[in-house]
Amino acid sequence: MTSRRDFLRNSIYSASAAALMNPANLLAGPDKPPKRFIFMHRGNGLWPKVLVPPSFDKTRMAKESQKKPYEVDLDGHDLPDWMSPLAQHVNHLTILQGLSGKMCTTGHHSWCSSLGVFKANERVSSIKWATVDFELAKLFPSPVEHIELACFPLEGGNSRGALDGIATGFSARGMHQPNYAFGSPRVALTELFKSVSADASAQDRYQLDRMLLKFAAVNEQERSVGLAEPERSKITNYRDAIEAVQSRNRKIDGMAERIRQHVPKLDPKYLDANVSTLDRQLGHTEILLASLISGLTNVVAFTVDELGHAYTGIPGIEGEKVNMHDVGHNKAIGGLSATEIRKRCRQHHMSLIERIVTRLKSVPEGNGSMFDNTMLFYFPDSGETHHSHGTEYPFIVLAGDNCQLDLGRRYIRLPKYGEAGHKTLGNWYTTILNAYGNPVEHYGSLDVGLSHLDQKGPIKPFLT
Amino acid sequence: MKSTTLLGACFVVSLVSVAMANETEGLRPLTTELRSIIASRCLDCHGADSAEGNVRLDNLEAITLPAQLDLLNRVYDQLFFNLMPPGNDPQSRDQEHSLLSQWIRQELLRLNASKFDDKLRYPGNGNLVDHELLFSGRVQDKAYSPARRWLVSPQIFHQRVIDVFEMDERDRKLYSHSKKKFYGVTNPFLLPERSGVRYFDLDSLDGGHLLVLLDNAKWIAEKQIHAARVKNQELKPGEFVNGKDRWAPNTTPRQFEEIILGDNVPTDTSINAAIEAQFRLVLGRQPSPDEFASYLSLTRDAIEVGGTTNGLRQMLIAVLLESEFYYRQEFGAGKPDVHGRFMLSPREASYAIAYAIGDRGPDEQLKLAAEQGRLNTRQDFRREVTRLLNDDTYFRGQIDPALNGSHYQSNETSHPRLVRFFREFFGYPLALRVFKDSSRSEGRYANPKRGTLGTPGWLVVEADRIVTRHVENDRDVFENLLTFDEFYVYHDKDNATGRKVIDQWRSVYERLKNTPWQTSPEEVLEANLEFLKSVPAMQIKDTSRPGELVNFMHYFEESFGQGRTPFTTVPWAHGYTFHHAPFYNLPPTPRINRYGSWRSTKYIADLEPVTFWDYPTDQPFPIDHRKGILTHPAWLIAHSSNFHTDPIRRGRWIREKLLAGRVPDVPITVDAQLPDDAHRTLRQRVDSVTTDSQCWKCHRQMNPLGYPFEIYDDFGRFRKEEPLESPEHLLQSGNGKTSFNVYETGPIDARGELSGTNDPALDGEVSDALEMIDRLAQSQQVRQSIIRHAFRFFMGRNEMLSDSQTLIDADQAYVQSGGSFKAVVLSLLTSDSFLYRKSHL
Repeated sequence: MTSRRDFLRNSIYSASAAALMNPANLLAGPDKPPKRFIFMHRGNGLWPKVLVPPSFDKTRMAKESQKKPYEVDLDGHDLPDWMSPLAQHVNHLTILQGLSGKMCTTGHHSWCSSLGVFKANERVSSIKWATVDFELAKLFPSPVEHIELACFPLEGGNSRGALDGIATGFSARGMHQPNYAFGSPRVALTELFKSVSADASAQDRYQLDRMLLKFAAVNEQERSVGLAEPERSKITNYRDAIEAVQSRNRKIDGMAERIRQHVPKLDPKYLDANVSTLDRQLGHTEILLASLISGLTNVVAFTVDELGHAYTGIPGIEGEKVNMHDVGHNKAIGGLSATEIRKRCRQHHMSLIERIVTRLKSVPEGNGSMFDNTMLFYFPDSGETHHSHGTEYPFIVLAGDNCQLDLGRRYIRLPKYGEAGHKTLGNWYTTILNAYGNPVEHYGSLDVGLSHLDQKGPIKPFLT
Repeated sequence: MKSTTLLGACFVVSLVSVAMANETEGLRPLTTELRSIIASRCLDCHGADSAEGNVRLDNLEAITLPAQLDLLNRVYDQLFFNLMPPGNDPQSRDQEHSLLSQWIRQELLRLNASKFDDKLRYPGNGNLVDHELLFSGRVQDKAYSPARRWLVSPQIFHQRVIDVFEMDERDRKLYSHSKKKFYGVTNPFLLPERSGVRYFDLDSLDGGHLLVLLDNAKWIAEKQIHAARVKNQELKPGEFVNGKDRWAPNTTPRQFEEIILGDNVPTDTSINAAIEAQFRLVLGRQPSPDEFASYLSLTRDAIEVGGTTNGLRQMLIAVLLESEFYYRQEFGAGKPDVHGRFMLSPREASYAIAYAIGDRGPDEQLKLAAEQGRLNTRQDFRREVTRLLNDDTYFRGQIDPALNGSHYQSNETSHPRLVRFFREFFGYPLALRVFKDSSRSEGRYANPKRGTLGTPGWLVVEADRIVTRHVENDRDVFENLLTFDEFYVYHDKDNATGRKVIDQWRSVYERLKNTPWQTSPEEVLEANLEFLKSVPAMQIKDTSRPGELVNFMHYFEESFGQGRTPFTTVPWAHGYTFHHAPFYNLPPTPRINRYGSWRSTKYIADLEPVTFWDYPTDQPFPIDHRKGILTHPAWLIAHSSNFHTDPIRRGRWIREKLLAGRVPDVPITVDAQLPDDAHRTLRQRVDSVTTDSQCWKCHRQMNPLGYPFEIYDDFGRFRKEEPLESPEHLLQSGNGKTSFNVYETGPIDARGELSGTNDPALDGEVSDALEMIDRLAQSQQVRQSIIRHAFRFFMGRNEMLSDSQTLIDADQAYVQSGGSFKAVVLSLLTSDSFLYRKSHL
């Protein structure tokens, strides 16, 4: 009899994550490549000051402290220490400062706000529309449409999910439609790559699952006959969901060979229920890469951490379970200052980004690499600090050569909140959507405190 | 009375209009009278030249239908809340106002485009149905609830999983009363976190649920057959797929086991027996012939693909995926009565009653009553509901197991769901979601963190206790909850035990106070060992801990020695977390660092004197400047912001929860921010941005009701002065840990005005929250408003005008029973609203 453990062992080998994937398999599909987007967001705020390259001269530093607009080519500048993993990718790096998001829920928890640009809360009814990542996923369809990975908080605030389960995420598929995220590399691997398991028993299970869904869909279809609204939708929503999974499975079946080449090969420690936070993030990163490279999806949202997450595995204090709320309140833990803990976490995030960019650059696509068609955004889900007000949402952007925005290799500080020319998250996402084919006039809610400014539309200088 | 005519007329209109819906594609032409009303009352501000707020009514008939409908929906909202024309007296509507409102609503309903009517179904909008009309006795329509599926609550879902595993009472208690969870089951049915009724019948299963439910179903099915698989040697004893998940039932249901252990391909008979068993466990009923056939076919096909065990497992999962497992079914059955209503079938009724009173399905007696035809009449319902309300054990459980931690447990009661109504209605558990800057409370406030719910956890537990006390007493419940003057604080031992501990401690103190315990504790301990061993509260067994004797005597000296009673748990006890007395304005209890470790015999003599709390062992006990749940720190914190009080939110709560009023949502054009101003109190800052005539239209409904609570700060502490927390007013700087900032203060102005009770003797100016609460507790409007919320809680929906008689009966039941909440529940669960169902169309 094959146990689930055997199944996992047989299907993904026991190779270390560091062994990565066989470069011979790293060949993307032959068709016109889609554009890909990675939204990597984190909790507890991101201090704008830590993104400033230390090699800036006094004039720039003065502008920085006064939050005056300016722009610098990053060539020849040192990145802040914690960003050192990105040094080799500086040509594709943009540090974007000065965006505001006061129309979002800020403070400790933001729910869908920073991706949807509206005041969200834990209630589904607060979700006004699809978040920007889902809007982009619609422009570049894929079998799984969108994948969300998360290091969930344990309690309170944003989505509360089992760390090793599937629960409400930070993205939204549409109005009143929260998305669901995979909480661990294990559950993501099991769900996303089950169709191509090499194990015969697992394959039987997959076939049985298909049979089960077909049965359930027919069953629920029969129950909906003759019902009137709103009762009818209580059944048809469920039936439609079952059918959507079936439809997705059919698409995945059609690309089984390609998916099989890219099943992530994770060391068992990344699949353990007690995986440390840093390893969980690394495991998720491998899932993210495999999902993009195999073509399962073109858009991934990745909650790399959240205020309520109990961090483990932080270098130097590996044995500590670090409450990020305490860190937000400047509490030293295990002999490390809160500032240092923040720095070490950020540095790890940068190493994950470096891994993503390097890997995607190694995958040939068209005349270049898969990274040429990829944009990655790293940003805080709640703004500039632990108790944020949304006056600043710093962004680190890595964009390939085919990026349809004019960004590359720059440090950009936009005009300060409230001053002429100031831009919001809504302007930023509108820019991205416009650049990639969604002509929306303005994405997101407006800031009622900026009624004296023309808030709508894209950031025109970024449009090529 | 506000909007009586309007909604009354519209109710009639709505019935007519639904029948006419979609007959006409466009707006009907305006009558001359309506044109004249619009011209005289609206166009000055909303004509071609002015168009205030970007609203024009002069070209209503010239714009597209979607634009017309959007405009009319906006206008209707303004008229309903009497926000237009500006300056209207909110208590009066003239005939022109009503005519225009009626016409707009009629048109919107006719065109199936009324956002207002859609809103009526949603939580928070129940008060849109006119209160006076509901309780007037003028509505003659027969009550019913719409035939419906009602998604199970998180608690019911959990109990249903327990049912699938056929757990005995011991295991059920283990999984119900503690934080113990099923490893592989994620509860996807979270309730929204808000003040007020949280569990409505509106939600539906969707794609997000499906992924979770699939995962759950696979885990449950695997556990169901685990024991049989071990017997069949598919698994070794003690072998689990996941080493972290080593639980499984000891036995597999016989019908499943027979299939797994069978040598041959299972027969149709054995498969059908398994299908029947799984239907009973999961859905609590027999499969229909069609269901037998389809499940048999599925099982056969699955066995062919994956073998016997896998095939059986797929059938088990398929039943677990039936939407019926996740929905409560209430459609009614039999012949309709003359009003087109169907009575709940006996089986439906048994579940409806059980889930109204608790989280578990029907008990054996209720099931039998349903099966034996003894659940067919109102009298039958009355008998069963009365029996279950008097049953002290079947539903017994904790109020909220999520509160349980290493330091405290949620308290138990016979009917936790009845208490849950009040905790949701008052919303005080939301204190757990408000993070505070601890240094602003002199370091006393502990935010929830890993392993503890901190200060708000204690406060919520203590609020639960006092609420439970009044619900259990079941006399004048609403009034008592609003005005109780006795509280539980710390109280970790019952009164008798607490008294005994104090008596024993006092005897030790009296005997040893004149010994050299400060300098020679070892000798004192040795000389008095037999005596100390005879005092159970000292827990001294030998001479190994002289340092603890020093601590005890020091503790006693600072309590008994100064004429006070010490708290009955010593501060050096393991896991001591009692630090929240100051949030009730009570003196603190000492912290552990005052005495040091019991391992040290050093007596710390040079401590700064502190007046510690004279602990009352007999609780509940009175506390000054407090009156009822609205002055409990848990409620006050739950209705505050991170940094300050929230008079607007508190006022809105009073308006909507206690006075059955309704405040429009914040308009999209409003930036709801308080200005920073170092020189003004919060009230003054709120005033500065809400008294403008446009803002005051809504804020007059809230601010005068919220300001009286300014006698408490955002930690729930009574005060007369408010610190002006800005650098300009800093008098003394602290490090935030051992010393704290001290600011200049401004005087508290807690004057407010009670309005909306519809009782001239009660409405009017109030000096503070205590006076306002006294008046609220006397108000009929308040009593009826609570009844309306109870209706929503037990029916899972907002009231309709046709529920009028149900509400009147429940209100009368309360009055005539001397304020029994159980009488309200009995009345609601034997009402037409509960008994009857009617299809939507």
